[in-house]
Amino acid sequence: MSAGSEVAQLPHAQEDPHGEVGHAEQGINTAMLGMLLFIGSEVMFFAGLFATYFNARSAAPQWPPEGMANIVTPDLFPIWIATITLVVSSFSMQLAVWRIRKGDRTGMNRALAVTLLLGAIFLGLQAYDYWHLLDHYGFGINSNIYGTLFYTMTGFHGAHVLGGVVGIAVILLRGMAGQFSARHHIAVEAVSVYWHFVDVVWIALFFVLYYLK
Amino acid sequence: MATTTLAPRARTYDRSRVYEWLTTTDHKKIGVLYISTAFLMFLVGGVYALLIRSELAIPGLQFLEFETYNQIFTLHGTVMIFLFVMPMWTGLANYIVPLQVGAADMAFPRINALSYWMIPLGALLLFSGYGLGGAANAGWTGYAPLSAREGIGIDLWVASLVLLGTSSILGAINFIATIFKMRAPGLTLMRMPLFVWNTLVTSVLLLFAVPVLTAGLVMLFIDRNYGGGFFDPALGGNPILWQHIFWFFGHPEVYILILPAFGVVSEVLPVFSRKPLFGYKAFVFATASIGALGFSVWAHHMFTTGAVYLPFFSFFTFLIAVPTGIKFFNWLATMWGGQIRLSTPMLFAMGFIALFLIGGLDGAFLAVVPFDFHVQDTYWVVSHLHYVLVAGSVFGIFAGLYYWFPKMFGRLLSEKLGKVHWALLFIGTNLAFFPQHLLGLDGMIRRIADYAPNPGWTELNFLSTVGAFMIGASTLVFMWNVFVTMRTPADAPDDPWDANTLEWATTSPPPPYNFDALPPVRSERPLFDLKYGAVEPRAAAYPAAAGETHEETRADAPEEVLGEPVEGHRDEEGEDRPEATPQVSEEAPDARPRETRPTRDEIPPPPEERR
Amino acid sequence: MPLVGLRPLPSKVALLLLLPAALLLAACSGLPEGGLPVGNEHPPGFFPVAPATEQGERINSLYPVVFWIAVAVFVLVEGILLWIAFRYRRRRNADPDQLPAQTHGSNLLEIAWTAIPAIIVTYLFVATLDTLAFVENIEPEPQGVIIDVEGFQWQWTFRYPNEGLSFTGVGREGPAMGIPINESVRIRLHAQDVIHSFYVPQFLYKKDAVPGRVNEFDITLRQPGTYRGQCAEFCGLAHTDMYFTVLALERADYDVWVEESREQPDEETPPPDAHVIEVSTPDVNNFDPPDLTAPADTTIVFELSNTDPSSPHNIAIVGAMEDGSDWIGLPLADAGQTATYTAPALAAGEYEFFCSVHPTTMRGTLTVGN
Repeated sequence: MSAGSEVAQLPHAQEDPHGEVGHAEQGINTAMLGMLLFIGSEVMFFAGLFATYFNARSAAPQWPPEGMANIVTPDLFPIWIATITLVVSSFSMQLAVWRIRKGDRTGMNRALAVTLLLGAIFLGLQAYDYWHLLDHYGFGINSNIYGTLFYTMTGFHGAHVLGGVVGIAVILLRGMAGQFSARHHIAVEAVSVYWHFVDVVWIALFFVLYYLK
Repeated sequence: MATTTLAPRARTYDRSRVYEWLTTTDHKKIGVLYISTAFLMFLVGGVYALLIRSELAIPGLQFLEFETYNQIFTLHGTVMIFLFVMPMWTGLANYIVPLQVGAADMAFPRINALSYWMIPLGALLLFSGYGLGGAANAGWTGYAPLSAREGIGIDLWVASLVLLGTSSILGAINFIATIFKMRAPGLTLMRMPLFVWNTLVTSVLLLFAVPVLTAGLVMLFIDRNYGGGFFDPALGGNPILWQHIFWFFGHPEVYILILPAFGVVSEVLPVFSRKPLFGYKAFVFATASIGALGFSVWAHHMFTTGAVYLPFFSFFTFLIAVPTGIKFFNWLATMWGGQIRLSTPMLFAMGFIALFLIGGLDGAFLAVVPFDFHVQDTYWVVSHLHYVLVAGSVFGIFAGLYYWFPKMFGRLLSEKLGKVHWALLFIGTNLAFFPQHLLGLDGMIRRIADYAPNPGWTELNFLSTVGAFMIGASTLVFMWNVFVTMRTPADAPDDPWDANTLEWATTSPPPPYNFDALPPVRSERPLFDLKYGAVEPRAAAYPAAAGETHEETRADAPEEVLGEPVEGHRDEEGEDRPEATPQVSEEAPDARPRETRPTRDEIPPPPEERR
Repeated sequence: MPLVGLRPLPSKVALLLLLPAALLLAACSGLPEGGLPVGNEHPPGFFPVAPATEQGERINSLYPVVFWIAVAVFVLVEGILLWIAFRYRRRRNADPDQLPAQTHGSNLLEIAWTAIPAIIVTYLFVATLDTLAFVENIEPEPQGVIIDVEGFQWQWTFRYPNEGLSFTGVGREGPAMGIPINESVRIRLHAQDVIHSFYVPQFLYKKDAVPGRVNEFDITLRQPGTYRGQCAEFCGLAHTDMYFTVLALERADYDVWVEESREQPDEETPPPDAHVIEVSTPDVNNFDPPDLTAPADTTIVFELSNTDPSSPHNIAIVGAMEDGSDWIGLPLADAGQTATYTAPALAAGEYEFFCSVHPTTMRGTLTVGN
């Protein structure tokens, strides 16, 4: 492969000076790419926690550890509500994106407000769950590896939900100030992708912590 | 002017120079900040190293107590890896990568500034242990459960590493976005300079490896402060788990530290051999496969734990020798038949090849699991990792610093002092680290403040100490070189090395917006193509034909070769896009670049001929 | 062995370099107090310590294979590099317009230097597996001596469950482990607090002692002798001083050693007018109280209450014996136990006392006076 033959094979740089890779806004938006990469690193963070969970689980003679079976899973009603809340909020978030893509600012703001509310409800339910476990069973982060894993995984997920709620609040305020349009709304798209990610992590957590036998 | 799209701000501020540097979002200034901070940390880590070597010069405890010694080697490792080598590479890449891809700045300039400012903060946290009851003392690997039991220094160490890790993740995102989204027209992936390729692979490694460390650090913090049981067998946890997590990060980390050095060497060798890189595609393939394999060998740091499946990790560790070998032979082939100028950057690059080879070979020994049982945690490992990090990363860093110094500061570092620096570092490195192989074979354990006066141990340890002080002396020579050079006028040419890549197509130092115009990119050596024209490269080997061809080329060098104007700021979605270079309006009149296209007459003779 | 070990002092240059070290050593007038005696007579060289075990011999015979391949690669690459640096150096009067041949690559060469290293490492991998299988082989039911090794900060305990023996190390020397030669011995590693690593250079082998986990290996010693081992995994403050000794004994000598070790020292009955000092050991860093007083010329009885949940302790006094050596209270008080030690009467003055398990960290002053 010589430089000379390369030039002969690839003349497009001259033909279309602005159409070359990376110069015009082609493909994915830069900010969106940044968000996706950030989510990639977040995936690895949670992968570390999940790997720890499975490591502890596979090493344990019994899982959940003795006496734990009746603590975390006897009454899953609030957890189910929380899960449904978060899944629905993912749809409302996507609705906000679809609205603004069509230029419907009011529709976007409404959908964002609903998402914000649902996110807050999820956090409230999780706080209730923590309180319940601590108050009724004395099940804490220092009880055993099960408690440590349970609180760390759900806690870090909760922190991410909180981060998402703050993000949505910011987007909502900016939306109310009319800063987004059908053309300019990359922040909405980015927060939406993040919110879906948080939702997916929760579904994995929900399945692993409460249902995986 | 083509850069008018970088609209001046409505009003400008009277900013002091200090304020300017503190608030800059210019990738070049941030790069210089990174490099200066990292160099400062190199000095700190070097002082730690000299303290360690002084204590070990002869048997017996002379002036350090166990606790002090343990803190010193912990901080030596942490500082050198997280505060010297990583920020140094980030700094060099910060300065060079946007220039090499022909961009005006990084993709996210403000995040770039944020990434930098986390570094001094992280350093502050790490060192604050000294004032708060003792610095971290569990080794840079912080093995649990030891790290779960020791004092507050570990908490600060954890906090510092989380912060530095976040900085690295943000930096990695920035580099990946820059490389994928902001390349010049014609600069396809397979025409990117090797330094850009290596930065890309390094960034991908950072992006996927560092969060795992963050997860581990968070777990350690929970164990320490909230009674968690991740690493406590009494609560059902597993101490080995920390090692899995740490090395899942730690092995890619090794490549994070060394891949950019591969990149620098792959930049320097072609320029100083006046030949293209031999086997460009093989380099890209080898770099990518080293990166991928880096995630499958972590447990080779854990052969003696009795908790890992040995053949699997042994096999993949051996396998890494193959792409590394490909690189070595391609480097040799690049130089083969060239016209080699032994300028300082080239000396460092060749020193890298000569010495990193030792670090690669003694690493291959460690893949031989039964032999690893003998030398794991002995000075053999210390020797191996220093041959990789000093002979590898440090030689690569200095090759890069000497090579790009004229681009950054418009001044060529003194060749004479540079060669003294190189010779001292070369001899010092071998003197310091080669005897440690022999000590390791004889069973000398690492991380001990004292050793028995066994036959030969005192002599070898003393040699090692002498070597360490030579490395220290070489660093002083380098600092003197920088000091002396910075007092001379900034008169370095734009392309002092007769180089190949885009960063040399602008002024030295470049204007805030980097380029007025870009040459067309049709190979991985756009500037070479520009200077030596569309000469059929092979023809140039024959003097008779070459002269004519060159004459023609120069005469014909058509205006359109100058390429299209650079558009600096064309993000359609603008709202989230930070200002690329707000200072443009102030500096533009003075910093207006000279004619960017160097002609044959302007190409200066190589430095050796200038003497 | 194809090569003798590297001479530690290869040339006059090295001697000159070493002169300051020699002067320094002389200035220190020998080693500081408590300095270690030589533990490894084998001078360092390019080959490992002479192995003392069957497993170590296998590792030792694998090493030269790797070594000579590495030497060959080293010579090849460095040779080419030097050749290039001399042969292709740019001439001073070279025509700047004359470019060298712009070769971009060669698929044939790429394939060659991918395939050849791949073949070499595959060979090494197979050789590794072979040796590994031998070294890591353990019998399902150990027939011979079993030794439970327990590491803790910063000492070792060796237990012989079948013989009913237990040794906990004191001082820098640590405990001694008797092993009969030419018999397969099972070693089981435990750790109490943090990770330690059981390493004897002459075994060419080490294995970590990990809390919550038992690592086992079998070993067959070949050569009678005394070998010093050391903790190889950094384990905190006094990691440097975590030594032990392996006594490789013929079977008959081993049996004698076991019998001698069984004999317990006679319990001394303290005189009734002895001065009783109560002292406790809460952790590996402190005595409680930190400093003690006692009347002169009176027998002292220490009632040591070891309140540390994770480590044995005792008390010892520097230079308290008539011959000037240290008095050491034995046996050790295990975690949570108490022990009574009778120390000799002392003349008035200041004495230093310490825990001989943790001589680095646990020290205090005993003031003897009227």
